[in-house]
Amino acid sequence: MTDTVTPSPLLVMEGIEKNYGGVRALRDGRLTIGRPGTVHGLIGENGSGKSTILGILSGQIRPDGGALLVEGRSVSFSSPVDALRSGIAMVSQETALAPLLSVTENILLGRRLVRGRAGIDWKRSHERARSVLDRLGLSYDPRAPVGSLRPDQRQMVEIARALSLDSRVLILDEPTSSLSEDEVASIFQVIRNLSSAGVSTILVTHRLSELFEICDEITVLRDGRTVASGTAESFSPATLVAAMVGDTAAETRVRGERAPLSQAMLDAPPVLTALNVSSEPDLHDVELSLRPGEIVGLAGLVGAGRSDLLEAIFGARPRSGDVLVENVPLAPGRPSAAITSGIGYVPPDRKTEGVVLGMSVVDNAMMVASSGRFRLRPPRTRRDVQAVSDIGASIRIRTRDLGVAVSTLSGGNQQKVALSKWLIDPPRVLLLDEPTRGVDVAAKAEIHQILVDLADRGVALLVSSSENDELLNICDRIVVMLRGRVVATVARKDADEARLSRLSGGHLDD
Amino acid sequence: MTTEHFTQPSIGARLWKGSRPFRPVFVVLVVVFVVLAIAQPVFASAQNLQNLLTSISVLWIVAMGMTLVLITAGADLSVAPIGALAGILLAKLLQAGVPVWLAIIISLLGGAALGGFVNGTLIGRFNVSFFVVTLGTLTAFTGIVNLWSNTESIPVTEPAIINLAVTRFLGLSGPVWIMIIIFVVTLFIQQRTFFGRDVYAVGGSISAARLSGIRVPRTIIMVYAFSGLCAAIAGIVAISRIGVASPQVDANLPLQAIAAVLLGGTALSGGTGGVVGTAFGVLFIGVLSNGLSIAGVPSFWQQIVTGVILVVAVLADRIGLRRRTKATAETGSTPPPESTPVHPETAAKTSH
Repeated sequence: MTDTVTPSPLLVMEGIEKNYGGVRALRDGRLTIGRPGTVHGLIGENGSGKSTILGILSGQIRPDGGALLVEGRSVSFSSPVDALRSGIAMVSQETALAPLLSVTENILLGRRLVRGRAGIDWKRSHERARSVLDRLGLSYDPRAPVGSLRPDQRQMVEIARALSLDSRVLILDEPTSSLSEDEVASIFQVIRNLSSAGVSTILVTHRLSELFEICDEITVLRDGRTVASGTAESFSPATLVAAMVGDTAAETRVRGERAPLSQAMLDAPPVLTALNVSSEPDLHDVELSLRPGEIVGLAGLVGAGRSDLLEAIFGARPRSGDVLVENVPLAPGRPSAAITSGIGYVPPDRKTEGVVLGMSVVDNAMMVASSGRFRLRPPRTRRDVQAVSDIGASIRIRTRDLGVAVSTLSGGNQQKVALSKWLIDPPRVLLLDEPTRGVDVAAKAEIHQILVDLADRGVALLVSSSENDELLNICDRIVVMLRGRVVATVARKDADEARLSRLSGGHLDD
Repeated sequence: MTTEHFTQPSIGARLWKGSRPFRPVFVVLVVVFVVLAIAQPVFASAQNLQNLLTSISVLWIVAMGMTLVLITAGADLSVAPIGALAGILLAKLLQAGVPVWLAIIISLLGGAALGGFVNGTLIGRFNVSFFVVTLGTLTAFTGIVNLWSNTESIPVTEPAIINLAVTRFLGLSGPVWIMIIIFVVTLFIQQRTFFGRDVYAVGGSISAARLSGIRVPRTIIMVYAFSGLCAAIAGIVAISRIGVASPQVDANLPLQAIAAVLLGGTALSGGTGGVVGTAFGVLFIGVLSNGLSIAGVPSFWQQIVTGVILVVAVLADRIGLRRRTKATAETGSTPPPESTPVHPETAAKTSH
């Protein structure tokens, strides 16, 4: 590489488009990195197109339109290997390392270990790995298994791996979401070292403070468009949030059809109470109560412990602390006990947990209601089929025939089947994790209506969502989580997207 | 749009759809049968067909239990020694003067207990891999068979058992009637009980089943107990045919049973298939073996053909599956918002 200043910017993405079926994930994605060594922050709400634009940049996703230029030359990547050849490497959100292999093996994974006369030359391989670690200012033992490292150290090994491929642009997708503050500081030190060595970083984060701490430039995505970009100094936290959620969103997107809870409902004793619920290492001392007919939202970043809390209450993961259903303690770790006590749970991943894809709509819908029956009784009695048929009609599951496998339905309809399990014989408390993830807009509105109707019938709902506008739409009260703890509870009338964003990111001062 | 109309397809349409997994083996079975019947007139004689059915009875009975095990995404390698143990237990009980009906019940319960309490508990309750558990019990139970029997056959003279194989009712031997009964019972369990639904749910998605309140460990224990029960029945049928409780453990039996189940369209990954397909799978193996031996073809050819057909049948199913989902698959990456294969006809379908 030469030091001559090229007139062309290092990286330009212009007018990038990507559609999935009818969903426009990106319609005008733009991202520019002017000179080597820049730290570029990318920010946007969930569903704004961040993952898609980074997937395109790293060669994992093919764009439907737009231009990608590296140093002025137009390129198109058909695989991550192509992107790596142009010097662009993605460090994934979930660490993709082999925990039992050594640091060296992980860094040099993919036949780049040094070969000697008799097989692998371990000594020189370790030296090569150490030299990469040195560039990052790290002093790990290259012989140590990766599984013995802390999460942030594993993240660094991933960065080292990307760096060992002579990358000039590193993409870090939420590297800090599951790290403690000390660990974040050490990652940032590495990013600074890289920057002074001329390696650029694209950093995705939800935490505004981090953006201002480390980034030179910031790009904001909203609804698949780049809505703002510029130097970090040109933004303030307020203007960033406004760009993220949209100028008008804070006023108009809030609140829908739901009337405030009556005084009688507010005075009713809680149907579910969580006391000191913990599940190490992800959940610490959560206290929460739900009243009949109330919809409570769980807001927070990915990894803040929302899913863990729902799983701990339902018994899908071990917990300590008490969960009381109408003052009766619930045995931990047993979903079937939770169901008997009147708790329901709609998991976030409908394909692997919400439904059994190969089974029919009727069999899936009856699964919960029939779980307490004698096992040698016949399924699909006329009464059961009628019950499913009624529920299916009322929530508009779109299929000709309830006997077809759920795998043949669209995402929104699959999700309705996952919900229908709990509608045949409604529980007293229903826990929902990302109830509208990956469904189209129409189905989303229908699912929201189903939830509101359930609450109107006296069911208490606890809804976890990474989309704050969804929570603002249907919830009476929103609980914000951060790093496994409840950090704030906001009544609906006091909540707006900007405030939830700030609280989720750890700005608790307002 | 007040009421949505769900139609119930005709029985014929449902049967046609339900037959998809085992259509390949069914077609091949019919072709092989017709070819053999034309080439070797002896093959299609009533006498030979009765012999054929009797000869596949042990495999058939074991394969019925194996089908439910495979639907839960497992397999039971220990069926052969469980059958042998049940047989030895029966012979020893008869020697000790226990009434024959009681001896049979005890042996059958013994087989179910070995399958359920040992295999089922380890797999269902302690989440040990089915392969490890049943490979271990295959080995250990075989050792018990040898120890207990001193590797000697125990003669069984009890007429109720010996006559089973020779008595004919409506032209069919006792073992064939037992085959039919086991088939009907398993089909009933599979189709007409909640337990049958649980078996499919556990195999289709164990976490979805658990989160819906299904007692997953209990389901798995019962499935392996049923497999053990079938193995014990097969062990007693074997005694009725050869007149002794043999210490010979046919290590090939579970593999042949698994092959028959797979031929019948049940997937190793669980959640699909059923005993009707397995019946065709066993018949195919039996017809091929019987027909080729009548034709004087060495039995090794039967092994080669069975093996090839097995792989081809599974491959054909895989290719068909890929074709069915191809139109909807993305370019290999998982799109963040939605990766559901949306079938155009259902997506576009609106209510009337």
